[in-house]
Amino acid sequence: MRLEKCWFCSSTIYPGHGIQFVRNDAKIFRFCRSKCHKNFKMKRNPRKVKWTKAYRRLHGKDMTQDSTFEFERKRNRPQRYDRINTEKVLQAIPKISKVKATREKDHITKRLSVGRVNRRTEDRRELEQSISLVKAPSVLKEDATLTLPKQKVTVSYAQTENTPMEE
Amino acid sequence: MLNVADNSGARKLMCIRIIGASNQRYAQIGNVIVAVIKEAVPNMSLEKSEVIRAVVVRTRKELKREDGMIIKYDDNAAVIIDQKGNPKGSRIFGAITEELRKFRFTKILSLAPDVL
Repeated sequence: MRLEKCWFCSSTIYPGHGIQFVRNDAKIFRFCRSKCHKNFKMKRNPRKVKWTKAYRRLHGKDMTQDSTFEFERKRNRPQRYDRINTEKVLQAIPKISKVKATREKDHITKRLSVGRVNRRTEDRRELEQSISLVKAPSVLKEDATLTLPKQKVTVSYAQTENTPMEE
Repeated sequence: MLNVADNSGARKLMCIRIIGASNQRYAQIGNVIVAVIKEAVPNMSLEKSEVIRAVVVRTRKELKREDGMIIKYDDNAAVIIDQKGNPKGSRIFGAITEELRKFRFTKILSLAPDVL
């Protein structure tokens, strides 16, 4: 039993799922579900279809290069059964997938953090500029609690005014 | 019209009948059929409008396996055989499924370039 990858969306195909299409040149296309199969029949390029892994990797949305991918590479050489090795592998698999998942999540968070910062500055700017739509500026000046949490420095003009000009 | 997946000399076959099934309408992978040659390569042992037997090796209709695997090919193809089940040609073209092993077409499987 082997868990294959869907040719179109790159998700894993579990046994009993999906269709395999064999082209006349003996190339096998495996699909995880009819959605992918139908898109293939429409001759769509997975690199241009937004929800596929191929698109996401190509456009930098998902992590492409990482050491955790090395563990999952297909090796065509059959390995002799070694009990200790198999046990170690079985113990390592959940650890590796956990590390991989956190790394992928961090990659996406990092990519989206720029947008978060931008949105916050935009919001702040909008608040400063358009606060008059909510309350009249004169009202805001009278009631100190309604102002934006800015640091206000009060300048006392009284002293400077009363000082007589030197003649 | 089936393609011919070997080098026996025929190119296209038309299925007339399925051997061993009285009312079966459609042949599947592994069925032996009686076919007439509709198109042949010139100057070879088989000629056009000759009635021969063939075994279906590839179908566009999905083949379902017990483990849930579904395989679909790009064309319908057959390999021409004699009365015993030995292929008439010496080479087979294209991928062949393991299903033929159940029907005891071992010679075809051994000649196939790719077995799924």
